[in-house]
Amino acid sequence: MKGNLNLIIEESRTLKAIARNWAFCFLIFFIVIFSFTGKGFLSIVNFQNIIHLSVIAIFMAAAETFVIITGGIDLSVGFVMGLSSVTAGKIIQILFAAGNLSVGAILLTGSVIALVVSLIPGLISGIMIARFKVPPFIATLGMWGITNGIALKICKGFPVASLPDELTKIGNGYTIYYKEGSGISWFSLPAGIANDQIREYLRLIPISFILLFIVIFILRHILNNTTFGQHTYAIGGNEDAAIRSGINVQKHLIKIYMLSSFIAGMAGVFNVFQTGIGNFTTFGAMYELFAVAAVVIGGASLLGGKGRLLASVVGVLLIAVLENGLLISGVEPFYRYIAVGLLLILAIVIDQLFPDLF
Amino acid sequence: MQSLMTQKNKDLLLRIGKQWAVIFFVAELIFFGLTAKGFFTVNTFQIVLFFGTAIMLMAVGELFVIITGGIDLSVGYVMGLSSIVSTKLIVAFAGSGLPELGAILLGILITLVLGLIPGMINGLLISRLNVPPFIATFSMLGISHGVSELLITEGAAKNLPHMANVIGNGHFLYFAQESGFSFFVRPEVARGVKVFELLPNVVVMTFILVAIFAFVLKRTVFGVHTYAIGGNEDSAVRSGINVKNHIMKIYMLSSFLAASAGVIYMLKYVTGKADAGASLLLDSIAAVVIGGASLSGGSGTVWKAILGAVIIAVLETGLRILGIPTFDKYIMVGVILIFAVLIDQVFPETTYKDKE
Repeated sequence: MKGNLNLIIEESRTLKAIARNWAFCFLIFFIVIFSFTGKGFLSIVNFQNIIHLSVIAIFMAAAETFVIITGGIDLSVGFVMGLSSVTAGKIIQILFAAGNLSVGAILLTGSVIALVVSLIPGLISGIMIARFKVPPFIATLGMWGITNGIALKICKGFPVASLPDELTKIGNGYTIYYKEGSGISWFSLPAGIANDQIREYLRLIPISFILLFIVIFILRHILNNTTFGQHTYAIGGNEDAAIRSGINVQKHLIKIYMLSSFIAGMAGVFNVFQTGIGNFTTFGAMYELFAVAAVVIGGASLLGGKGRLLASVVGVLLIAVLENGLLISGVEPFYRYIAVGLLLILAIVIDQLFPDLF
Repeated sequence: MQSLMTQKNKDLLLRIGKQWAVIFFVAELIFFGLTAKGFFTVNTFQIVLFFGTAIMLMAVGELFVIITGGIDLSVGYVMGLSSIVSTKLIVAFAGSGLPELGAILLGILITLVLGLIPGMINGLLISRLNVPPFIATFSMLGISHGVSELLITEGAAKNLPHMANVIGNGHFLYFAQESGFSFFVRPEVARGVKVFELLPNVVVMTFILVAIFAFVLKRTVFGVHTYAIGGNEDSAVRSGINVKNHIMKIYMLSSFLAASAGVIYMLKYVTGKADAGASLLLDSIAAVVIGGASLSGGSGTVWKAILGAVIIAVLETGLRILGIPTFDKYIMVGVILIFAVLIDQVFPETTYKDKE
């Protein structure tokens, strides 16, 4: 039966494409289903919200994709994000309170320092994994504890508040504001609009989309079109062969973990812009596990050598659409945990049935 | 002569490397003994064990899984789920007119049996469908979290009968000057007379469970097979071990121990919470690794895993006495965890010898 199925799929190109992109097909399927069951699901505003709220998860999944392709795992991304968010928040808070600099300079300084800081956990776990052969699971689990502790120490267990309002204006802003009659205005509402009039405007393309597209485009380019990306796949496919063909595997792995940590740091900085405060990561958030789930749903293998960046993004969107759709359809939100669990198992079973597809 | 000396030095170094966890533990005790006021008292040690019960139980469960070369991420939320299930059951039983003790015992029994189910599903996925343990147990983490939240939508898990509090926060042995020793029941004494409380009930329960599973791992065929599978799965299959069945039992065992940790949480805090064990994932794996087990399977012992758990529990209590915020605990556990693995790399033979 299994053999037959494999054969049929082998023969038909369309079926092969469907099986390979089953997560994408599921995404379309869910969107169609929820369009019928959930009132207001099928609207531009809702889709914009879904993507805007999954930017952080997409960053995490992108970070995890690189690591998983090399056959490793990075459990620290969630808390590195918290660390970066709290660091950026704290620096912005201090500079803002001092009041010497312009708001733009303050935000820039905070973001840059947080991004630089977020390279450090990756550097340390990379060195441990590459040079000292510590299993990635343990090295990054250790970093999980360390970054969480440091983030909590910086913010003393409370979110970092009283930051400039400009943060959320940028983070939750839109590129286009449109109202019939008064025309289009770019990046900000026309002057002199009261708060209750905002709803009259059609708001399109959140600024976060631009960031998201730039980051994903660059990362995809790195993974698909550069030697760095090729080496990443080579190491995941067969580390010995990669060493023999002259790749500096140790150095490459350190770079991979630094990249993963840096992307998590970007998610942290974005988190400050989105929420307007510096948030530490709670234990219940489990960003790292949802990121791994999304990557696996996207067809990557935990053994390494397989994985596509856009497929991981689809994995995140699938989880997000499921969550949003269930909520709008009036199903209790905690079913999302169960749904994600079932999706994951499905992903693995599909992977087991058709091992040659991906 | 020279070479003999260096050989001797090397042996000594190896022996120290092998026992570094013990040395670290002693150093930890000395450090807190010197810096934390009132650290060396019977009471403090009882508190350490009292708060360490969940880590100890989950570390033993995780140890079995890690010896076979797997990992169980679901333990924390299975613990939370079982704390909620047991609370709900006991409240329901007590409400239906059962005596308090009967309701508690029946509730605990049913919870422990139900606690086997997540492990059974994990085991089925891992052994029959070849799902990687990381993914299977993560799915189970999500599912048990979801079910927990589902159970508390109609109301929080609380209002346990008073007896639960008496059991959970009571002690096995009481001693008072005038009435002598008494078991379980706190003697009635005049005001101002000091009653010594020894051996918290939950600690006694934990030790009984740990002792049983230490025996299972060390002295039974089940234990031998566990090491065999972790050492080399192929040869285990060839030597006639039913590996699939065994793996299933291992995950059921881990989930059973997580469920008992949940029951003990319920007795201690007289409530059920979905994220009762959320932060214990790091602790339980760290305890096992500090105890010298290798994540690639085949090595580890129960008493060393318990030592790892106690090291973490002492750290937690010691820092609390010093008044240092618990945030530092996470940093230190992380550092010790990495340190443990680095030592493991420097003295590779040591963990291998531990198998015997």
